[in-house]
Amino acid sequence: MAEAIQKKLQSELEKYQQMQKDVSKSMSARQKLEAQVTENNIVKEELDLLDTQNTVYKLIGPVLVKQDLEEAKATVAKRLEYINGEIQRYETLLKDMEKKSDQHREVLSSLQQEYQRAQGLAVGKV
Amino acid sequence: MAERNKRHIEVLQGVDRLRVEHKKVVKGCEVQIQHWEKVKGDYEALEDQLKTLPEEVSYDIMVPFGPLAFMPGKLVHTNEITVLLGDNWFAKCSAKQAQKLLEHRKKHVRSALDDLHKTKKNFEARVGFTEDLEKLSGAKGDYVDIREEVGSIEEFVCKGKQRVALKPHTKPKMEAVVKMEEGGGEGDGGSRRGVLSEEELWARLDELEAKEKLEEEHDRHFGSADTNGNDDTTSSSEEEKEGDGGGHHRVNGHDERSEGKKTVPHNSGQVNGTTRDREEEEDKGEEEEGNGLPTIYFTHTVEPKKVRINTGKNTMLKFSELKEQKQQAKRKKKIGTSNGHSHHGLHNITTPTDIYRLFVDVKNGEPIPRKSILKSRSRENSGCSDTSESSAADFEERRTFGRTLSHDENTCSDTSDGITEEDSPTGNPLHPTRRFEAFSCTVVEKEPIPLSIPHLTIVPPALPTIPERKLEEVAPDAPREAPKRVSKFKAARLQQK
Repeated sequence: MAEAIQKKLQSELEKYQQMQKDVSKSMSARQKLEAQVTENNIVKEELDLLDTQNTVYKLIGPVLVKQDLEEAKATVAKRLEYINGEIQRYETLLKDMEKKSDQHREVLSSLQQEYQRAQGLAVGKV
Repeated sequence: MAERNKRHIEVLQGVDRLRVEHKKVVKGCEVQIQHWEKVKGDYEALEDQLKTLPEEVSYDIMVPFGPLAFMPGKLVHTNEITVLLGDNWFAKCSAKQAQKLLEHRKKHVRSALDDLHKTKKNFEARVGFTEDLEKLSGAKGDYVDIREEVGSIEEFVCKGKQRVALKPHTKPKMEAVVKMEEGGGEGDGGSRRGVLSEEELWARLDELEAKEKLEEEHDRHFGSADTNGNDDTTSSSEEEKEGDGGGHHRVNGHDERSEGKKTVPHNSGQVNGTTRDREEEEDKGEEEEGNGLPTIYFTHTVEPKKVRINTGKNTMLKFSELKEQKQQAKRKKKIGTSNGHSHHGLHNITTPTDIYRLFVDVKNGEPIPRKSILKSRSRENSGCSDTSESSAADFEERRTFGRTLSHDENTCSDTSDGITEEDSPTGNPLHPTRRFEAFSCTVVEKEPIPLSIPHLTIVPPALPTIPERKLEEVAPDAPREAPKRVSKFKAARLQQK
């Protein structure tokens, strides 16, 4: 009886750990996106400061490619939108993951209690 | 105690950990601040560089050639600066434009620094608070925990909120009453008794009525001995106490007699406890010793319920007044006097209600206040015939007063019960054996004519000779007045005709 509970406990524990990892991954991804957002914001602002006389280059690999100012602005804007969308997605994902992890935690604690009780009984019996 | 210690320790640990976390945050903030400060420094250097660069068309420099070698070279196009805008975006701009961009970036850096500083301050404050909390919980330092213990309910009782707060406690208090009776305590919180249900009260009242009847009969037959004896058996200390002490005894007497003269202090205690509601006519502040705690209980004046009881003589009495009479009778018996209600009332005045009752005549069972003494008396003295109702009322009062004066010789207890304010509107002639009767004629109530009105001084306890004189006075007056009155009425009738 105690062994079965122990096995259950272990499996649950593993699941929970997995969940935690997923949660942390999504967290880090979200943070990256946040950084990108700030950066793109700065780029957008600086592009606004420039006028059409300045040539704008985009670094693609080892090549600097000439870009139009307007195009550059548009591109940056699009990128910004994309990043924001990503952030939203990641947020919802994170919420779900957290809920699941909580559930797992509860299950885990109950199993732990059972296990302890069984252990106690076993000790008593012995 | 152990639990408290445990909790204490846990609290301390928690507080400690909180403090540690706070400090970590503060450190992180500091690190970030350092970083940003560095960036800011870099930008400032760059700014300087940008300012000086366009001064020359070309510069001779040593160009780094790999990690270990330099090569002499020239720096050209000093005004063309390719600026990294971020996210793999570059822009070629002049030095001045670059400066603009730089300014913009510096702005950004500055804002980041400010935020970091703020958070750092915040967390430093929090650290301070947690340290204080630690001190608090650790009971070190000058912090004192102020606590107010919720005292026992006894305290609340004494503050006069008995009616509300004691509802759940009525039963225990009843037991206390029982004990009190044994100890001779009296005057338990009558207001407490008020909490009992009405039905209980009425049932109690009925019981007591019956006992009263028995008591009366016994009084008539046995005299004072029994009551005195009973009193002694129950509690001697009660004799010391005035007021309802007599009534208390009285009830005990009833109880014991009805139960075959068994001393049942418990029951009597109970009885007394419940009758207190109805009997209480006085405010008392008495100390009780029966209860464990020295507490002061007081009762509020309760107007007695106007219950009509048929005593042995078909006279209607107020229940409470009967009791009062009894107690007074008992007391008077020691002195060897019979009872006149008002006389005892005079002795027994402790509340305004007593005073009121003195001057209230009960005619046909209804209490009717007497008119002012001054008014009627003045008229009386002047011999004026037009006294009408006032004189009638006055007459009643004087009758009783006269009775008080004349009672000294009388030991008969019969009349004690029969004599109340209300007796005989038809004017029963008083006992013929009484020498010092206030009046000897019949009294017709409806007639406003007092046939014989003794001239009373305001101080009733007078010498026995006074009533004699009064009688003498009255006697001649009466015939004089009567004809006057008659004539007046006749005259009126004649007028009408």
